[in-house]
Amino acid sequence: MLEYSIVAGILFGVFFGFMALGLNLIFGVMQVVNLAHGDFVVLGGYLAVIAYSAGHINPVVSLVGAFVLFFVIAFALYFPVIPRLTRSKDPEMLSLILFFGLSQIIEALDVIGFGNNPRSLPLAIMGAAPWHFLGQSYQMAWVITAIVSLVMIGATYLFLYYTRIGYAARAIMGSREEAAASGLPVAQTSAIIFGVGIGLAAMAGVLSPFMIGSVDPSTGLGLTTIAFAIVVIGSLGNPLGSVLGGLVYGVSVMLMQTYFSSWSDLVPYLLLLIIVLAKPSGLLGKGVRNA
Amino acid sequence: MLSSGRTHLRSHRGVNALIPLLLLAAFSLAPLVYANHAVIFQMMAFMVLAQGVNLLYGFTGYLPFGYVGFFGIGAYGMGIGIELFHLPGLAALLVGALFAVVIALILSPLLRLSGAYFAISSLAASEVLYNIVANPALTHITNGPYGESLVQSYHPLTSYVAMVVLLVLTTVLVIVIKNTPFGRALLAIREDPVSAEMAGIAVVRTRTTVWILSALIGGLTGAIFGWHLSVFYPSTVFDLSISILAIVFTLFGGGGTAIGPILGSVVLYGLYNAIGISAPQYFELIYGLLIVLLVLFLPGGVVSLLQRRGSYVP
Amino acid sequence: MSREPLLSVEKIVKTFGGFHALDGVTLSVEPGEILGLVGPNGSGKTTLINVISGLYHPDGGRVLYRGRSIASWPMHQRARQGINRTFQIPKPFKSLTVRENVELAYHFARQGAMTVDNALDFTGLAPSADRPAQSLNSSQQKLLDLARALAIGPDLLLVDELAAGLGPQELHHIADSLRSLADRSMALIVVEHHLGFVNQLTDRVIVMNAGKEIFEGSLTLAAEDATVSAVYLGT
Repeated sequence: MLEYSIVAGILFGVFFGFMALGLNLIFGVMQVVNLAHGDFVVLGGYLAVIAYSAGHINPVVSLVGAFVLFFVIAFALYFPVIPRLTRSKDPEMLSLILFFGLSQIIEALDVIGFGNNPRSLPLAIMGAAPWHFLGQSYQMAWVITAIVSLVMIGATYLFLYYTRIGYAARAIMGSREEAAASGLPVAQTSAIIFGVGIGLAAMAGVLSPFMIGSVDPSTGLGLTTIAFAIVVIGSLGNPLGSVLGGLVYGVSVMLMQTYFSSWSDLVPYLLLLIIVLAKPSGLLGKGVRNA
Repeated sequence: MLSSGRTHLRSHRGVNALIPLLLLAAFSLAPLVYANHAVIFQMMAFMVLAQGVNLLYGFTGYLPFGYVGFFGIGAYGMGIGIELFHLPGLAALLVGALFAVVIALILSPLLRLSGAYFAISSLAASEVLYNIVANPALTHITNGPYGESLVQSYHPLTSYVAMVVLLVLTTVLVIVIKNTPFGRALLAIREDPVSAEMAGIAVVRTRTTVWILSALIGGLTGAIFGWHLSVFYPSTVFDLSISILAIVFTLFGGGGTAIGPILGSVVLYGLYNAIGISAPQYFELIYGLLIVLLVLFLPGGVVSLLQRRGSYVP
Repeated sequence: MSREPLLSVEKIVKTFGGFHALDGVTLSVEPGEILGLVGPNGSGKTTLINVISGLYHPDGGRVLYRGRSIASWPMHQRARQGINRTFQIPKPFKSLTVRENVELAYHFARQGAMTVDNALDFTGLAPSADRPAQSLNSSQQKLLDLARALAIGPDLLLVDELAAGLGPQELHHIADSLRSLADRSMALIVVEHHLGFVNQLTDRVIVMNAGKEIFEGSLTLAAEDATVSAVYLGT
């Protein structure tokens, strides 16, 4: 049982780390907490379900479509909204509220467009044979999802460390003022990161039916909270931290489900509270904020 | 609009007194002219909750997504007071209030956080409360997921009157705080906690006081609500949309004033009643759009239209 | 005859990570005295002000005020006991008016003879009393910090870089005003880059470097001191 919990926890943890990555990027670069993050994950889930049921398109293919589609949507959303917010009197709070409004809009549109019933994908489309490891067997869909997640996390890492835009993004994460002062294209970079962040959320959404079980309009805010917890555990603004946060979350949930199943829903919330009160800068955080 | 607090309480005495009196009159008479008492009662409950959110968000800038936690724990305090301690209704209300205050004290370290950290952590805290109250392991205390039944103490008239009283008192409290140095101190803390300390304001104690007052208001609302409902489940009284609506009503009307949350509750709860019950997704769409538009074009809410013209807004 | 110091700071240490911002600094100031605190950037002057006013807790050493250790006092208690300060980057309550800024401090911490109007007159802000603080320029906002600090009637006033951005005329006036405060037996510690301004204020300066005091005496003597010139000129 212990081995199963840990291995399954790692598989889920890698996925949830990927699920939180976009939230982390956007916060790191724009200081904006995208409260609609979970709703973009849900939208990605709907895209996968509809592509599969209408056209028998495998979710692995839908991943690409989801990224492109939501990158474009978010990129277009950036310019009328974010610059106006960053200029306002209280950008952090107002952006939080604005994205909360957006999350409510998306949730409402989900219900109007797709109905209230949860939708799901058969796990078997990712391979019917289970994966055997250390005497336990796991769903092949979980393994594939975890691999895809790892690949995407790796790709994001390469993007941040080996491209000009990634370099600018990291500079802005360090200090927005200094990045602007040294002539880096802050606005364009932010818009691209905003697109990438939401694109990644939608990609995670495509995989989400396999890991969460179903796609349901009402799960958005809960997913955002989980993503926020993961990001805070790993340190806000540190992309690699998402992986660590995801693993802590995945393994904790699986252990709780195995040993204290009736309390397992508490895990993300308790983890969040413990970490914000004990170490607000996260496990990988350097230094502490001054009062 | 912010000059000299004490004189303001006096110089605007008329308009300040008018609001609680109007509320008192309106909700005393409403049941005589409008048959759907449940709607009137819920509107009052949301007004009080919006004022509780207002006290915290409007004056200190802390946005409590998890405000419903106090509401839920108040309802359960009421339930435990009646079911476990066999107290009469009004005494059980105090148990609900006490529970909410105790939880607020336990959660007061959350006030060290700011912005999004506080907002989301408070949401997490309310989910933790919900999961504890609803846990089958606590069935002997809370009846777990099976809910509370207080039918033997059901007294709709008393609980209705209790809600009217709570609404009037809460509104008076907000007006008093707004117009006294205490309220000014809250604004100062929101602007600059370090300068506030140097001006002699005990920042932590002042913030904690407001947090506890706000929790007390939420807890009492939940207790009276649970009493009035008499049968409820954890999922009813810890429903996150209760927080969400209270926040939306406050933002729409305008925080930091007494009238903003009332205005927001009347307009939006009215709208909710008109379309939200049969087609909640359309109501959600409308208030989602409203929030986005407010943030972009009118961050101070509807009352800021008056404030911009220099009028005193209670 | 030496009087009892109002404030003595003994061997204060403050570290950030591994960096020693204050490394055993010791000094004291008497009622009615102005102490100039000078030194290069990063020498720990503002950090010391932050420790005395309670914004930072020191990692070692003692701060004695009227002979009592005030280590455990929060900032607002220090304010109420007569310690106040201005900020290098001014920190007014921007949405309140100038008068409301001062009234707030007067309401929550007053203990001296100065009224709100006195404080506004003293700092020359009376004509702007009803303007929102955010409409003031940076030098005026610093004066507002000063007015707010004065409204509590402090016995110990910590002034952090007031001179920056002021013209010679204004500097002269401010120096006179600060000296008149000392004449009313207020103790002042003035952190300043502008040495001419310090010279107008006081004969007693402490030069700090790397978190320690390296010289105490008049500015004229400081200029002749080998250690001081080494620090300032890098020779």
